[in-house]
Amino acid sequence: MDPKLRRTSESAAKSCAQMMGDRSRNFNLGQPFIQCNPTNLCYGGKHEQTFPEFPSALDTETQSLYQPEHEVKSINQFKPSPNVNNAILDWDPRLVLSNLSFLEQKIHQVQDIVRSIINQEGQFSNRANEMVAQRQLVTADLTSIIIQLISTAGSLLPSMKNTLVSTNPSVGQVGSIVGARTSFGINGSQQQNEVIHMEVPKASAYDDLIEGFNNRGNEGSELIKGLNAQGNEGDELMKCLKSCEGEGTESIPVEDHEVKDCDDGADGENLPPGSYEVLQLEKEEILAPHTHFCTICGKGFKRDANLRMHMRGHGDEYKTAAALAKPHKESTSEPALIKRYSCPFVGCKRNKEHKKFQPLKTILCVKNHYKRSHCDKSFTCSRCNTKKFSVIADLKTHEKHCGRDKWLCSCGTTFSRKDKLFGHVALFQGHTPVLAVDEANVSGISDQVQGNEVINGMVGSMDYNFASSTLDDVQILNIKGVDDGRGCFSPMNFDACNFGGLDEFPRPAFEVSESSFSFLCSGSSNFIQRSGDN
Amino acid sequence: MMRTPQPPDLIMAVLSVDLLVQILDRLPDSGDRKSFRLVSRGFLSAEALHRRALRVLRREFLPFLLRRYFALESLDLSACPALDDTALAAALHTAGGCQGLKAVCLARATGIRWRGVEVLVAACPRLEVVDLSHCVGIGDREAAALAAAGGLRELRLDKCLGITDVGLAKLAVGCAVLERLGIKWCMEISDLGIDLLSKKCRDLKVLDISYLKVTNFCLQSVSCLEKLEDLTMAGCSQINDEGLRFLNNGSNSLRSIDVSRCNNVSTWGLVSVIEGHKCLQKIVAGDCFPELVPLFLTKLSGLRDTLNVLKLDGFQVSATSLQIIGVHCKNLGEIGLGKCRGMTDECISELVTYRADLRTIDLTCCHSLTDNALVTIADHCKKLTCLLLESCSLITEKGLDHIGTCCTDLKKVDLTDCAVNDTALRCLSPCLELMVLKLGLCPSISDKGLVHIGSNFRKILELDLYRCTGIADGGLAAIAAGCKSLKKLNVCYCVRITDQGLKHLSFLEELSDLEMRGLVHVTSAGITAIAVGCKSLVELDMKRCYSVDDAGLWALSRCSEKLRQINISYCPVTGVGLCKLLGSLRCLQDAKLVHLTRVSVEGYEIALRASWDRLKKLKLLSGLRHFLSPGLLQMLRARGCRIRWVDKPESFCLPFSLLL
Repeated sequence: MDPKLRRTSESAAKSCAQMMGDRSRNFNLGQPFIQCNPTNLCYGGKHEQTFPEFPSALDTETQSLYQPEHEVKSINQFKPSPNVNNAILDWDPRLVLSNLSFLEQKIHQVQDIVRSIINQEGQFSNRANEMVAQRQLVTADLTSIIIQLISTAGSLLPSMKNTLVSTNPSVGQVGSIVGARTSFGINGSQQQNEVIHMEVPKASAYDDLIEGFNNRGNEGSELIKGLNAQGNEGDELMKCLKSCEGEGTESIPVEDHEVKDCDDGADGENLPPGSYEVLQLEKEEILAPHTHFCTICGKGFKRDANLRMHMRGHGDEYKTAAALAKPHKESTSEPALIKRYSCPFVGCKRNKEHKKFQPLKTILCVKNHYKRSHCDKSFTCSRCNTKKFSVIADLKTHEKHCGRDKWLCSCGTTFSRKDKLFGHVALFQGHTPVLAVDEANVSGISDQVQGNEVINGMVGSMDYNFASSTLDDVQILNIKGVDDGRGCFSPMNFDACNFGGLDEFPRPAFEVSESSFSFLCSGSSNFIQRSGDN
Repeated sequence: MMRTPQPPDLIMAVLSVDLLVQILDRLPDSGDRKSFRLVSRGFLSAEALHRRALRVLRREFLPFLLRRYFALESLDLSACPALDDTALAAALHTAGGCQGLKAVCLARATGIRWRGVEVLVAACPRLEVVDLSHCVGIGDREAAALAAAGGLRELRLDKCLGITDVGLAKLAVGCAVLERLGIKWCMEISDLGIDLLSKKCRDLKVLDISYLKVTNFCLQSVSCLEKLEDLTMAGCSQINDEGLRFLNNGSNSLRSIDVSRCNNVSTWGLVSVIEGHKCLQKIVAGDCFPELVPLFLTKLSGLRDTLNVLKLDGFQVSATSLQIIGVHCKNLGEIGLGKCRGMTDECISELVTYRADLRTIDLTCCHSLTDNALVTIADHCKKLTCLLLESCSLITEKGLDHIGTCCTDLKKVDLTDCAVNDTALRCLSPCLELMVLKLGLCPSISDKGLVHIGSNFRKILELDLYRCTGIADGGLAAIAAGCKSLKKLNVCYCVRITDQGLKHLSFLEELSDLEMRGLVHVTSAGITAIAVGCKSLVELDMKRCYSVDDAGLWALSRCSEKLRQINISYCPVTGVGLCKLLGSLRCLQDAKLVHLTRVSVEGYEIALRASWDRLKKLKLLSGLRHFLSPGLLQMLRARGCRIRWVDKPESFCLPFSLLL
């Protein structure tokens, strides 16, 4: 796992989930199928590594899978630590011993099978059909043995059942490991180029499985030693469970996620669980800016079409109509399974482990959901500086009507819609809508700046008006009184002038800004005065 | 105003102020009152004490008048030129507030903005009635300022184009006791505003929402106004029958409904309204749906005792339908059947046979009516006061003879385009009460007919002789001699009239409105006579008087102080005359100055600057728009002046020349 992506503040439950997630990403690379693929088995003497590789898949260092010394490393890493076990579990040592020996026996069986494959490989190398049949047989054998291994390993943890049945979110993960493996065995021929399809059995199925573990655990007590020798898996499993258990108290609040986000598709459709295929993208994939990469230069693209356009630059072979054409989906004879998506965030309602899991319809839904619900809101509206968004499209939608259609009531409540404001005003006595101009006046600096000019203009016109009247002296005195008292000649005198709205003819399409208007007003009054003088 | 005390008038010793007030109570005429207050200072103060209503014609006297008439209750500023916020504020401040003022009319006071409204509301705490109609610049801010007048009961805001739902909401919240509201042509107001209004102003009785873009939802809200009596919604084309059905919820007390020109309303909508309101007194449903269905008529019979006014203009009618109306609507006083198709003499006889107390009959454009219809009307409706017969071209003097003999109460007769002659006017001569007579497009009327008018209709106020090309100066002499109270006269395109005729007219001192378009023989001498004689002249239209020049304008600017509207389009006046006219007339508010070919751009510029604070409406050629200085245009607009730019080619082929 990339340490950069992991945040230290994240709960252990989350990190556990991510660890699981990383493992499943490794499946993406086709890694788990090494043991199923005889061609891969020609790695030679490393046939024994195939099984330990399962636990190593749980390892955070995914690259190390390809390293030859991996097994050693992983064994070292996951050496069972009795202290820890004792501290957590109170279990019968004899029972465990019998279980371990059972595991050992089983692992020997597996080793035998794999050896026989290697031996047979030379014989059947030229007969492909037999190879396939053989491979299937082996795969089936392997599968059954591995199930036994896991169930026995599970029974090594006597107090585990209670933990598993509880609402701990990692329970599902444990189940899904099992589920995934079984399905790998069965769907061995499935194409794995794309994102892994993990089948999720229902939550209740997990319980059955665990019960099975316990039952089997009772019968194979002598195989405990085998597990001790080889099985890192059980340890890893325990570790995982331990961490989950330790953080159990913290994992409960995580469930709060189900309260919010009821967006993003799939709502309202009542697909019965299991009638669809659930895919789960990883966080990195969701957050990746590009999903299509050029195999030659590595440049990333958001759309496959753009990549195809890009590929033209890499040679003529990419310019053919076939290469440029949209790769139509392999129209398989069977009807395509309905695909639904799960959010990788454990505890989220959109996560497949959630009790009331609601799947997401499309990858886009997943992306938007994940960003909205589990990511920082990094896009801030530049206009209001308060609203934050994690999806840039949301920001753009908000900016479209930010500040513009703000309907304000005299009580200070704002509404985005006029009818809502009117409903509010109708409901409360004395509340009125606030005019846009009133709002502007509060912060109207421009008014004050241009005030002097306007007043000058007004005085000019006043002089003219009242000079022509018969009562000039008294008038002018009075006007001054009014001016001081009521502020009738404040700059706002003209700002509300609307030079529009003529009845029979169209509204003239020009407005005069305050400054230019005040200038004109004073100028024109001067003109009048001069003409009067003449 | 301190003056040396004068010895008390002797007459004041005899007549106390109480008695003078009593006398004033019995003096309705404004001229008489003027004489009264000119008697002495004591009489003047008695008149000031008595006066309750005031109409101001000059802005400069407003402060003085407000101070003198301190007991005013009603103030009309609609004719006050150049009234703006500062002037109003100064006047109100000088007067020290108008404590008793209840009603203020600011119609067409386009210079008033929110500051003025604010000052007015603050100065008049008892304000109940405000008229701001046709102040097209009025918007939400003004409405918000007005909302501070909590006691407002009546408010007219027709054509206040800037008012939106928010402004209406302000008013609705602020003026909760509003009873009468007119928001006709406030095009920005929508359902939301009306809905809030009907929730807040529960006392609303009269509501006019004509021509708004409101839908049925608005009627749903309005229908819950318990006290609603009068709803006018002409031209609300988005309202249909479903909306009208909301009115039928029994929770309002509708008396009068106007759905004229509501295109989407049909009979069924009206039927539902009638079903819900058994006391409906007035139904105006002109031009909304074409046919009268029997159901509607039978429902009308349910309103037999109350229905008083029924207007069904533009419907397809038949004898049976009008018979039903005639038989059932016992209280019917006014019926409007203008432009009804299928209207025949028989229809009229079916209607009027049972309805003897009809006062008003509108038969405009019922082309197929003949004298028989008039005879039946005359036989039955003895109390008729108003008869409109425009374009009923088949009627002759015979029918009018019956009308004249029987319906002597007639006050208004419209015979426009009826091809009547002098004899017909003689036949109408018994109608001594006649006040309005329209004879437009009756070219066969000659001076003889006018002699009948002048000798009989002494009370006539309004006379329309549009394109009565038969008349000449002699007829005008008869009218001027007889109809001394004439206020409105239209002699457009009566091309035989000369200066002599206008000299006769100049004896009409009451004349306020003179339309004399296309009098090509009239020169400045005639105009001078009018200007000198008709002291009350307010409106003058002398478009296409091709012989009137600057001298006429000089006379007008010197003598016609009250002139408020003038049309001098196509007159051969120059910039000097125009400048003198616009600069001198203190009351001038509306000028139409199209195709003044001898006036230069500079002439326009100077003349308009000389008039700059008074004009409210201006009609100019659109070509001038680019030549006049932008500063001038902006300044005019700032003062509330609306400029209408017309784009007319100057036509020398005059239409009236065909009638010569």
